[in-house]
Amino acid sequence: MHSTCQIIIREWNRILHLKVFYLVMLVVPALLFSFYAYIYQEKEAKNLPFAIWDDDQSPVSRQLIFLLEQRDALRITKRLYSEAEVQKAIQKGEIMGAVHFPVNMQNDIYSRHPTTVTLYTNAAALVPAKMVYKAAAQVIITGSTGIILKKLVKTGMAPDRAMALANPIKLDTYQLYNATYNYQEYLVPGLITVGMQMILIISSMLALNYEYKTNTMPELYELAKGSAFRVITGKTIAHLVVSWFNFAIIAFILFPFFEIGVPAATGKFFALYTLLSIACIGIGMFISALFKDVMLSGDVALFYTSPAFVFSGFTFPRWAMPWYDQYYATIMPYTPFLDTFFKIYYMNLPFYYAQADLYKLLLFPAVMFPTALILFQRQFNNSKNEAAVEPVLN
Amino acid sequence: MVKDHSLLLTLLIAPLLYAFFYGSIYINKEEENVKLAIVDDDQSRLSRLLQQNIDNSPMVELIHFSNLEDAKEQMYEGNCQGYMYIPRGTQTNLLSLKQSNVVLAVNAARFLPSSDILASVQAICLTVGAGVRLQFFEKSEGMTSAIAMQNVMPVSLDYRPLFNERSSYGAFLLPGLLALILQQTLLIGLSESVAAERQHSTIGGWLRGGASMAIWGKGLFYLILFSAYAFFFLNVNYSLLNLPMRGNGFELSLLLLLFLLTLIPMGQFIGSLFKSQLLCLQMMAFSTYPIFLITGYSWPFESLPLPIQWLSMLLPTTPFIQIYTAVVQSGASIWENPKLLLHLMLLWAFYSGICYARLHILRKRLLT
Repeated sequence: MHSTCQIIIREWNRILHLKVFYLVMLVVPALLFSFYAYIYQEKEAKNLPFAIWDDDQSPVSRQLIFLLEQRDALRITKRLYSEAEVQKAIQKGEIMGAVHFPVNMQNDIYSRHPTTVTLYTNAAALVPAKMVYKAAAQVIITGSTGIILKKLVKTGMAPDRAMALANPIKLDTYQLYNATYNYQEYLVPGLITVGMQMILIISSMLALNYEYKTNTMPELYELAKGSAFRVITGKTIAHLVVSWFNFAIIAFILFPFFEIGVPAATGKFFALYTLLSIACIGIGMFISALFKDVMLSGDVALFYTSPAFVFSGFTFPRWAMPWYDQYYATIMPYTPFLDTFFKIYYMNLPFYYAQADLYKLLLFPAVMFPTALILFQRQFNNSKNEAAVEPVLN
Repeated sequence: MVKDHSLLLTLLIAPLLYAFFYGSIYINKEEENVKLAIVDDDQSRLSRLLQQNIDNSPMVELIHFSNLEDAKEQMYEGNCQGYMYIPRGTQTNLLSLKQSNVVLAVNAARFLPSSDILASVQAICLTVGAGVRLQFFEKSEGMTSAIAMQNVMPVSLDYRPLFNERSSYGAFLLPGLLALILQQTLLIGLSESVAAERQHSTIGGWLRGGASMAIWGKGLFYLILFSAYAFFFLNVNYSLLNLPMRGNGFELSLLLLLFLLTLIPMGQFIGSLFKSQLLCLQMMAFSTYPIFLITGYSWPFESLPLPIQWLSMLLPTTPFIQIYTAVVQSGASIWENPKLLLHLMLLWAFYSGICYARLHILRKRLLT
């Protein structure tokens, strides 16, 4: 117990004094996570450049343009006169979308001839295109419903009956857990947790093998009395405490400052975060015990951790990926973490709903720590023999 | 490089592996059959018609439940992405010309599935609503089908998503992703290589002929290697992933050449700031997401905070990705965006300048 405590303190000392640890574990998290939150400070994309191609030039088209101008998402920046001009302006990146009101639109509406309004978006930039569509389509559909309503009322129909006919099926929509599609609320917690996963693996992958680099393995051997268990336990606790320090920064400084997150779910988030940390440290220890070469261990850790965000299904659902990618996703701890995170944090549900995902996440430390222990004990024993042989050879 | 297995992995294996590996995720381009729970308390012809239409859309797959609690529970379990409720009396209301309310609740904690469900169900409700009006005009007003049709939808919306006709996520993301893989593997590899020169004290030999010679000497190898990767991505990966390349191939090559020429001094400058190859790798590992997020590709540039916009303008990725996507996805010419092209050229000059100055200082330090 005493030697484990000494290993913990020794590891904290190393974390505070070695650049490869303190930069990754203490400097990067604060800077990177603040940066992520700051990027999405606007929360929703607004003022997207939009063009009007008005061949009608009537009071109706002017009314629709007025309504489009009122939408926060759109900023009318151009007047265009043909489809070729619309395409060119989109190609040049001058506009994100445009609307076309055809010749005689007003006359057609009044003379009971259907008319078609065309909405163009630059779908090569999908996020703004969807926002432009949502804002502009709402205006056109509302305008169309208004016209039907007006016509029906003119025929002598009671306004409530006319409304029922103009919009027979009223769809009451509820966007649960993120009512306004706030990008900061959605992306920042995900980016931060995936960042934490990288930080934990990229730092703990050096916990054991970097001792060779600093020529401190014999000293560690003495301190641990040759027990790999003591070393891995001590180092894991030291790394876990630093990850808790980062949790405090995330949950009690960053989230309140940027007004994001679900404060009521902080306790559950902490428990899940701790589990992710233990899983990642376990993986890091395994890599560290497997490769003596720190660069190779760095490459492996980087290759393993960097695709976690896209494979986890955060932005593009896993069920839409090919089967082999879905399988690959299961070998990363971030995948079950994310499934649980959605439920217990974003949706603020009890852990009961994430039992299966939690078991999957628990598998990582259950497999990684014992494997790391076996590998490192062998290395540790060898390092003792090497240390004994070295003076004889010299 | 041959002696350094880390560089070998980063430069020879990582670009190809990442391009196939990441690319395959989006090979289906878009999601389909997103599960939506439905509770039909009306059990009428209209409610069945509504369900049939929703179920027939490629985007949504309905799972039926007898009560709302079960439907909600399925959403909590993660088995569906929302629920829809058709209350008792929906059809009766319509027949007596009263508006009917149908409830759609989606799990907006996940953006893509929820927004896809919303868009599909909204469009279907509008279509079914138009059908209801058509029947009313025909039966109650005695209009012919042709005249009734004209009255159903006085203004219809024709939506034309240009340059990604199906508005698919894969077609949007993949071209940018491939460019980012090219950029990041080059930056990580090159900066690691320069950091390794400092770490192993071989920098003197590298800088012996002067800073300019050093930049070109090391840079030329990377330029040739990554030009080959770019060519490979644009031909093999684009073809495997079924991505359109609508622009002029020669112009795109010029653009990529300029981009790589800008990245090379940038990577060498970054690497020269590190004395340890490992530390350089660790720091560069954290650069990928921030760079991608601030280039204006995934989030509109205008919506970024002003200081982030300034920072973004210092990255070659920002002007490059705009010209590149315009060329490959909309068939634009690189000369149509002269300001962006000039921006990229200025960044080339900027990074060449600071890289030269930095290596010159390092060389002077070594000589004294």
